[in-house]
Amino acid sequence: MSSSCPVGYPLPWAPAPDIPESWTTLREQPLLEIKLPSGEPAFLVTWYKDVRRLFADERLSRNTFGRASRVSASNDLFGDPNIDNDPPRYLTERAVVMRAFSARRIEALREVVRRIVEELLDAMEAGPRPAELMEAFAYPLPILVICHMLGVPPQDRPKFRRLIDGFLSVTRLPVDEVEECRRQYWDYLTELIDSKRAEPGDDLISELIEISREDPARLTDYQLQHWVKTLLIAGYVTTASQLGTSMAVLLHRPEATAELKADLSLVPSAVEELLRYQMMGTSLGTLRYAVEDIELLDGTTVIPKGSTVLLSQESNMDSEEFDDPLTLDIRRTDNHHLTFGAGIHFCAGAALARMELQEATEALLRRFPGLRLAVPGEELKRPVGGFLAGYAEIPVSW
Amino acid sequence: MGSLRVSASRDSCVTSSLCVYRLPQVFDQDAEGRVVVVDEEPPDELRRELLRARRGCPTRSIRVEGPGVGDDEDGGGAQ
Repeated sequence: MSSSCPVGYPLPWAPAPDIPESWTTLREQPLLEIKLPSGEPAFLVTWYKDVRRLFADERLSRNTFGRASRVSASNDLFGDPNIDNDPPRYLTERAVVMRAFSARRIEALREVVRRIVEELLDAMEAGPRPAELMEAFAYPLPILVICHMLGVPPQDRPKFRRLIDGFLSVTRLPVDEVEECRRQYWDYLTELIDSKRAEPGDDLISELIEISREDPARLTDYQLQHWVKTLLIAGYVTTASQLGTSMAVLLHRPEATAELKADLSLVPSAVEELLRYQMMGTSLGTLRYAVEDIELLDGTTVIPKGSTVLLSQESNMDSEEFDDPLTLDIRRTDNHHLTFGAGIHFCAGAALARMELQEATEALLRRFPGLRLAVPGEELKRPVGGFLAGYAEIPVSW
Repeated sequence: MGSLRVSASRDSCVTSSLCVYRLPQVFDQDAEGRVVVVDEEPPDELRRELLRARRGCPTRSIRVEGPGVGDDEDGGGAQ
């Protein structure tokens, strides 16, 4: 292991919507010493094959509260001492939720998503140019979809978004404000769940209530609330940031944009490649705690027991796995990227996110054939002190 | 025909739906969203996509047997 200074994490971004070239050489050190935004130490696993394998390794626990380094000094985002994120408990709870994310259920939502997409783009088309893509489209789309799935009433949505945005602050807001947002958000969910108990609807919360009523051992009230909280957060900002950065990365490359526009049947593989090439994520969401020493595939490096570990999303740029990793290839076929993770914690909403990204990308290119960035890619602003990187604003014209 | 054999572990499936979208003629899901193999002996022309489905499964829950399919290169199939 290197004795050099720990590297600040997240790693610095390139100024334009490009992946920094330095990411392709991260694998020179299979285990990189890093410093989290909290200032606390952790390790970043850099090889694709190690990351893929360790996502499925139970020696890396997701139960990090009170023992692993914290992501942020002002936000315990992933810490909940009442929730055990390790098997077997985790698997029982997850199984209850996953029925709502099967391919059949997601496909049944596709028409709803199409309608929301068309409505948002109608408004964008009628509005001023340039339009700001995050505010006009990328933020509203996933929140409207997840609100539809969970049965959140339309009038609650602005409040909802304010609380989630505050709750997801890593360094932007002081500790007491993050805490206040978290408390109000939790209270709101309690009210929402209570109202569904009194008057069930055709939505996921009502479905989960019914399951926990039939068999309280499968899902306690607290777990029910925890999952609803998690689904709302996970379904919103991640998809919004990915949609925005996907379009920024694509539109920054006029040739790829033209190629895709000329053949919209490439949208699914383009969406996949833009997910691999994601510019919104960091590996902070993969935080794990090593309950034993773990040897890496280089045969010499060992993750010491008791350390905090991030499994790198940056390994989507590992040249051992991906040919020409820095090239955005919208026709890439063997693209088993790790943007949604792997193993038992594989993103529950992956199929939903993919479907939204496909519908959104297809509709944007179909309806706005002249769509382009209204400022040079190098001038796009990144947000300050949030959990995800992405872009604060993406001005587009057509 | 019939030289490939496909099976999948319902117990380790985490409903990524990747296999269902890739090869709906081979993979489906039950009411809980867990994998179901609907064609256990798919035609040979699906070999390449089957191997991609096996490799892409986030919990290594897909097994493909037959001449020339090899082991999953990263090993560590679902228990």
